[in-house]
Amino acid sequence: MKRKIYASILMAVMLLNTVPLTVFGSSHREAPLILGDPLADNTDLYAFRNPDNPDKITLIANYIPFQLPQGGPNYYSFGENVRYEIHIDNNVANNGYTTGDDIVYRFSFSKTNQDPTTFFNIRLGQQNLKTTYTLERSMDGGVSFSTIVMNGIVPPPNIGPRSISSPVGLNAPDYNSLITAAIATASTGEKVFCGTADDAFFVDLGGVFDLGDAPRTTPGTTPVDGLKCKNVSTIAIQVDISTLQKDKKPVSQATSILDPNYVIGVWASASRRKIRTLSTNGTESYTGAWVQVSRLGMPLTNEVVNPIGEKDLWNSLTPYEEATIGDGVFSNDERFNDNLYNPELALYMDDSQFGGAVPAFAPLRIQTNSLGQFDFRNGKNGLFALKGSPAVAGTALDDAIAGKILLPGPNRPRSVDLFPIFRTGVPNLRPYQLATGKGGNPLAAGKPFVNNFLPNGGDMLRLNMAVPPTQRTDPKFSSLGLVQAAVLGLTDPAYNTTTTLQNIPNMDGFPNGRRLEDDVTRIELQAVSGVVLAAIGLSYENPARLGLVLGYTTGVEKNDTTLKTTFPYLQTPWPGTCNCAGKPTGYVQPAVLPPSVARMGLATPDVFMQSAPNPFRSVTTIRYRVETAGMVSLQLYDAQGTLLRTIVNQRQEPGNYSAIVNATDLPAGTYLVKAVSNGQLKQSIRIIKN
Amino acid sequence: MNMQKISTRKRWVWKSVGAFTVFTLSFILMSSSHREAPLISNDPLSDNTDLYVFRSPDQQNRINIIANFIPFELPQGGPNYYNFGTNIRYEVHIDNNIATAGDDIIYRFTFQNVNQDPTTFFNIRLGQQNLKTTYTLQRSMNGGASFTTVITNGVVPPNNIGARSIESPVGLGSNYNTLMTNAITTASTGETVFCGPVDDPFFVDLGGAFDLGDLPKQNGISRDGLAKYNVHTIALQIDISTLQKNGKPVSAAANILDADYVIGVWASASRQATKTLRGANGGSPFDPTGGGQFTEEGAWVQVSRLAMPLTNEVINPIGSKDKWNFLTPYQDLANIGTYGDYFYNPELALYMDESKFAAAVPAFKALRVQSNSLRMFDFRNGRNGLFALKGTAAVAGTALDDAIAGTLLLPGPGKPRSVDIWPIFHTGVPNLRPYQLATGKGGNPLAAGKPFINNFLPNGGDMIRLNMAVPVTPRNDPKFSSLGLVQAAVLGLTDPMYNTTTTLQFIPNMDGFPNGRRLEDDVTRIELQAVGGVVLAAIGLFYDDYNPSAMPAQSPVTNQLVNTLQYSTGVETNDTTFKTSFPYVQTPWRGTLIQNQ
Repeated sequence: MKRKIYASILMAVMLLNTVPLTVFGSSHREAPLILGDPLADNTDLYAFRNPDNPDKITLIANYIPFQLPQGGPNYYSFGENVRYEIHIDNNVANNGYTTGDDIVYRFSFSKTNQDPTTFFNIRLGQQNLKTTYTLERSMDGGVSFSTIVMNGIVPPPNIGPRSISSPVGLNAPDYNSLITAAIATASTGEKVFCGTADDAFFVDLGGVFDLGDAPRTTPGTTPVDGLKCKNVSTIAIQVDISTLQKDKKPVSQATSILDPNYVIGVWASASRRKIRTLSTNGTESYTGAWVQVSRLGMPLTNEVVNPIGEKDLWNSLTPYEEATIGDGVFSNDERFNDNLYNPELALYMDDSQFGGAVPAFAPLRIQTNSLGQFDFRNGKNGLFALKGSPAVAGTALDDAIAGKILLPGPNRPRSVDLFPIFRTGVPNLRPYQLATGKGGNPLAAGKPFVNNFLPNGGDMLRLNMAVPPTQRTDPKFSSLGLVQAAVLGLTDPAYNTTTTLQNIPNMDGFPNGRRLEDDVTRIELQAVSGVVLAAIGLSYENPARLGLVLGYTTGVEKNDTTLKTTFPYLQTPWPGTCNCAGKPTGYVQPAVLPPSVARMGLATPDVFMQSAPNPFRSVTTIRYRVETAGMVSLQLYDAQGTLLRTIVNQRQEPGNYSAIVNATDLPAGTYLVKAVSNGQLKQSIRIIKN
Repeated sequence: MNMQKISTRKRWVWKSVGAFTVFTLSFILMSSSHREAPLISNDPLSDNTDLYVFRSPDQQNRINIIANFIPFELPQGGPNYYNFGTNIRYEVHIDNNIATAGDDIIYRFTFQNVNQDPTTFFNIRLGQQNLKTTYTLQRSMNGGASFTTVITNGVVPPNNIGARSIESPVGLGSNYNTLMTNAITTASTGETVFCGPVDDPFFVDLGGAFDLGDLPKQNGISRDGLAKYNVHTIALQIDISTLQKNGKPVSAAANILDADYVIGVWASASRQATKTLRGANGGSPFDPTGGGQFTEEGAWVQVSRLAMPLTNEVINPIGSKDKWNFLTPYQDLANIGTYGDYFYNPELALYMDESKFAAAVPAFKALRVQSNSLRMFDFRNGRNGLFALKGTAAVAGTALDDAIAGTLLLPGPGKPRSVDIWPIFHTGVPNLRPYQLATGKGGNPLAAGKPFINNFLPNGGDMIRLNMAVPVTPRNDPKFSSLGLVQAAVLGLTDPMYNTTTTLQFIPNMDGFPNGRRLEDDVTRIELQAVGGVVLAAIGLFYDDYNPSAMPAQSPVTNQLVNTLQYSTGVETNDTTFKTSFPYVQTPWRGTLIQNQ
């Protein structure tokens, strides 16, 4: 059935060494069906070694896209009747005909209304749609599960200060105290957080999907982070490397940063039961087997790699099922593979295709005649001419090693870069080493780079956990991830003078795992444009091209807010009352008038006034009503009856008025305000300055 | 939802009421419904957000009905943007005759989509459009017993992605307003129809409202939380003679109170009962072609409904919202045991009552429910309101007479708002005492006053009720106001053109909410004022600071009434304009021009 081909590759590669590189990322409402089911919509997956805790890996899976901070009355939370899962493959030899996973974390949520009599989400210490979770873990690929967190707390939505921190709401010190209180430690040691957070993804959504207008070329428009001020529901786990490593070894036992025993593949999913039944009493029920409805591994696979006709199917497959589609054994259906062999985006970076139609991609052009021999444009042969030749003997392209999947046939030019980046990771084998030291022959040995080779054939985020984290304060830290590591390896004198293995900053970045900071959209567009090929020595025809490709940017290079320096790293969710929760109106609320006092006969005053605040500190407002038109004056006296000043002195029609008494210059004490109408004293009130 | 089944229900209670048709003052109340109930918030394609019903300013013999769906659409929400669901029945229902049970007219929309180029991830490329949506419109003139197709292959314009997708030659090579105009269709039966994305015309400080009622914001800036979001609209423009129960044109109306011109309108979305995901069969045996496939079958079940704005958002509490969405208005009376009290004793009134939680909601400080109106009547939650009058000689011949509508308007003690909030949502109000303006009543709210509105259609269900005989207030009239009937009442009580006579007059904004609902109407403000007792005040049940024994007589326009009328949520208009002709709702925001969100 499957797997045979990948297993043989693994065997071959175990004997050798490598460089993977680069590519794509993110998935918000990316397929037609899932956009009708936001609760199950997996938006992003991150996997990175922690800068503050280098023995641990953090896995973050986000769900429910485009949450408006102000989205009341019900806001957003995880769905009941949905299985949210994070899957880890740490041992390609274990891939049988079942799931292929080694570890599965499964989250299930439930909700309760603490006060079903109100339409508010939070009121008087009670919370509606209050969400808790159970976390189960399987260490045997899903055969059996143990519960490791019970009644885990999901913090409420960050509605606003009245709901969160006032006495009529939850009376919490602040929202972050709720986040801190919700971080749980599983019985097996993992730290866990489930709750709302700022969406850490960033992309010029409006520009990108207006036929690839990133960076913007349309006059009158400017790039904007389309996910600015939006929240997501996150599942974050911080796990010891020794828990994830297949033999339970700590990271200290890694032989080098290339140690193949420390490679994990991570993917996330959401599943629903097969049958949903609506009842006319306003309830719904779910029965039957669980069916996967959303998945995510590498960012943007199902957003801009798979075309619309294939997205729904892709969401329903596991990576292990995906690996069998077009593997030549189970099936010859190459459609998912071909989306990588001949990616649609490459059409827009190719002047013989639609390059002219997407001016924003003008800096991005694919090698058409690299080294005078190799054409990587869609439909061309790439390196296929080398297949079976002595030149590739002993390299990853050798059929005896991984040539069957890396050079599966003619007209699949990107089978050597984009396909393995998404589906296998890349080993430290020729030609996947940096061009440094290759002496112009891409097939020669070069500088070792990264080994995140886990050849199970499915779309996953692959991370070699032995690669140390780059500190976020390091001046060489870059959101370009491995692209930047390769640039340093090729150009920085600290690294480009030797073919010795070195830890180069950002080797822990996308696509060796994915950090929250990584600019995956930019990296993936550069990769489609051939930057990985260039890094291993398949240079551009025009030497200036590499600079243009590396200088390419989408116009949005980072998140719209900061990240936290400790778990769960994602930033506090935007509150519903924040400055971006709608268009400001400039409304000013008028003063509330005191209740009217009726005239109970002829003695009823023609002027009636009150002051507020009273007592006051420096300024108080006199509000008064004039019943009969006339000359009205308000006069301020001290306690001894000395006239200090006249506050109002003018003709006034019947109506409500107010006047401000500014007593900043007066000592504390008691004062009188007298109202005179048409020369007659109507009322006198006492005001007290504290 | 099976309309025939419902239509067999008898609403005998209302038979006797409907037979009387006198005159009235209806009034006021609540509005809008974006992700308002737990279940529907997970099904955005079926989520009905707003319903509008108004006579056209530019086509005075026609009525517009606009039903919006899919809340909070980000203009930049690619790659797939937003579209009507293909397995959903979207319906607009009209009751025009209390003598016939259930709906009289139903418009049913169903949508289909096609990918013109399934090989791209872009929505629009080289003249081809993916998820390209068309619709079929069916109409029933017999309450759902039979349907006739009146539009086939109606065009839904694409989303307004950006200039490259819409205008450029690598996109559609068109322009957006042309696409919109071209999508306006005339049904075989004469209705003008538009279905497509538009600016969401609703406006509210969403963040403030649901942060425990911080409307207007007490510490911070008021914001329109729906600014620059789109919705998908279903807009119909229909001749009054099509909607009028006897096929009469508006010119045949006896006057602006003609009871034969009242319609009740509601909208719904339904799905089939059973949805089955086919899936890849869990790999055993692995069935790749089943992935991403599903079937929907079985009876149609209503999952969302909307008529009066905000009913299910701020009147029904969370524990009762889901069920409400599944009921038809014709089932409301049977469920009055559960839902009635949300109107008789509205939660919002707790926050306008100093003996309850008023101190907890400082933003409502201008709103205080009458606790001692005319030194007699207490309308705070749990009090008796006008119940002491039940069965007395004072109410004989008024709407509160048990022989007329007293059994519903005065159902018992401890239900103070059975005389204002409940009927505004469930019956409309007749031109009967006490529902006439206080003008001319001489201080007695039960006396005959100035006739106001008759939108009485006493089927007992939550609907937007419109008397189609009421003329249109031009939008450029200096007296046009987003306060709708509240402003019409203010003019009737205070403007010398109207307050010196008890003669029936057309007062500007009599065609406003809650006599129908115009796009401009500030329904959140109106409804909060109504809960604050402004309707009671308009019919002579003045605020506590009015002293009926004052000498000389005190103006009823007391400070508390002024406070109520001045009350505002801080967001009073939509964030953009409206079109002056059909479909009136504005061109959708463009994905590439969004900056501030």
